[in-house]
Amino acid sequence: MIRYIPFVLYLLLIAMNEVIWRDFTALYMIAINVPAMLVVLVSIFKSELTAAWFGFLAGMVMSAGNPDGMGWQALLLATIGIAVFHVREKLNLESIYSKVLLMAGAVLLHNLLSILINDLNRILFLTWSYCLPSAIYTSLVAWLFFLFKEKRFTLENIKSVF
Amino acid sequence: MNQISNLFPKNWRNLHFIVLVFFSILLLFGGKNITEPASRFVISSFYYPFFKIKNFMMEMTAVAAENDLLREQLVSASSRIAGLEEEARENERLRNLLGFEPPLGYSLVPAKVISVTFDGALPVSAVINRGSRDTVAVDQPVVNQSGLIGRITEVLGNFSVVQLLTDPANRVAARIAETREMGIVKYKTNEGLVLDNFPVQGTIHEGDLIVSSGLGGVYAAGLTVGTVREIFRPDDAQFCKVMLDPAAKFGSLEELFVLRPDIK
Repeated sequence: MIRYIPFVLYLLLIAMNEVIWRDFTALYMIAINVPAMLVVLVSIFKSELTAAWFGFLAGMVMSAGNPDGMGWQALLLATIGIAVFHVREKLNLESIYSKVLLMAGAVLLHNLLSILINDLNRILFLTWSYCLPSAIYTSLVAWLFFLFKEKRFTLENIKSVF
Repeated sequence: MNQISNLFPKNWRNLHFIVLVFFSILLLFGGKNITEPASRFVISSFYYPFFKIKNFMMEMTAVAAENDLLREQLVSASSRIAGLEEEARENERLRNLLGFEPPLGYSLVPAKVISVTFDGALPVSAVINRGSRDTVAVDQPVVNQSGLIGRITEVLGNFSVVQLLTDPANRVAARIAETREMGIVKYKTNEGLVLDNFPVQGTIHEGDLIVSSGLGGVYAAGLTVGTVREIFRPDDAQFCKVMLDPAAKFGSLEELFVLRPDIK
């Protein structure tokens, strides 16, 4: 059971983001896609089944406020989790940039498909005004996370600058 | 779980996907009977604590804003109270002035002190808010309810300059109210208000009231100047040295009266 605790914490992180962080971290209405980012991270570092189930639950948690879209989001994030897992199996993910690129692609795909489901009429406008900027913003955050995780960017590095 | 997975070693992955797709289809097409309880469960188990935190944060923000507003209101109310207290004090002073009667042949022109000029510890001149438009003229005496203050030395349209008794250049012809013996009151920088030119053989006691004699032609007779504080009678001198306490408080001048002679 203990091995599931991190995933419960990730789900709580998604809920916290939806309730508290989203408005604070949004830049000109462009928000970080935390659920998609976490699903991609789980897909990169964990197994295919874990990615699929985590994607499913993340979709449920993120769309709890909109029960009509719950099934779509659960299916969408589970599919993205499986897809990212298979892509990372075939790519050399040693490089941070390849991980960031994968993250950007997955988040963009999630944003696009979410809009396709919810707001088909404005898809062109929203692609440029929201999907792409949100994917870039999320990838930047993920890039910082990878830098910290691989210890390329440490507190000592920051201190040495000053 | 592992025991179960060992039962289906080859199809375990596919079984997971089938279950996952089944749940997805259930959520997609199960309608509100499925999605709403699922949503309620997720909200109550994952969102609820964060809603509480957010509500608390919003409450704190509202309390902080209310606190700022109340602080502003408090400052505003405090300054208003200070203003009202000042008005109450002024009201009391004006009530005291209300019963003040001018000497015979004079009428009172009420005035307020606008500024004072100091020379040492006490002011020597003051500017009042009455001028030639109020028929104030040079050499008219200025008093308050306590006694003589000085005389007008300069007049403009709406303002006048008052030479106070504390100016060493000012002189007042005075007499002892009881015995009617005369002298000249002036202010000496190091000694204060003194009665000069009073003969050593004259009758004078500490506490005697000194009033203007009216002989100088400037000050009306009978205006209170001060009281005798101390008397020195040197053996070999013609005049004694009489120290006075002024009747008016020159350190806190506010409302004054100009004595305007009645036109005959």
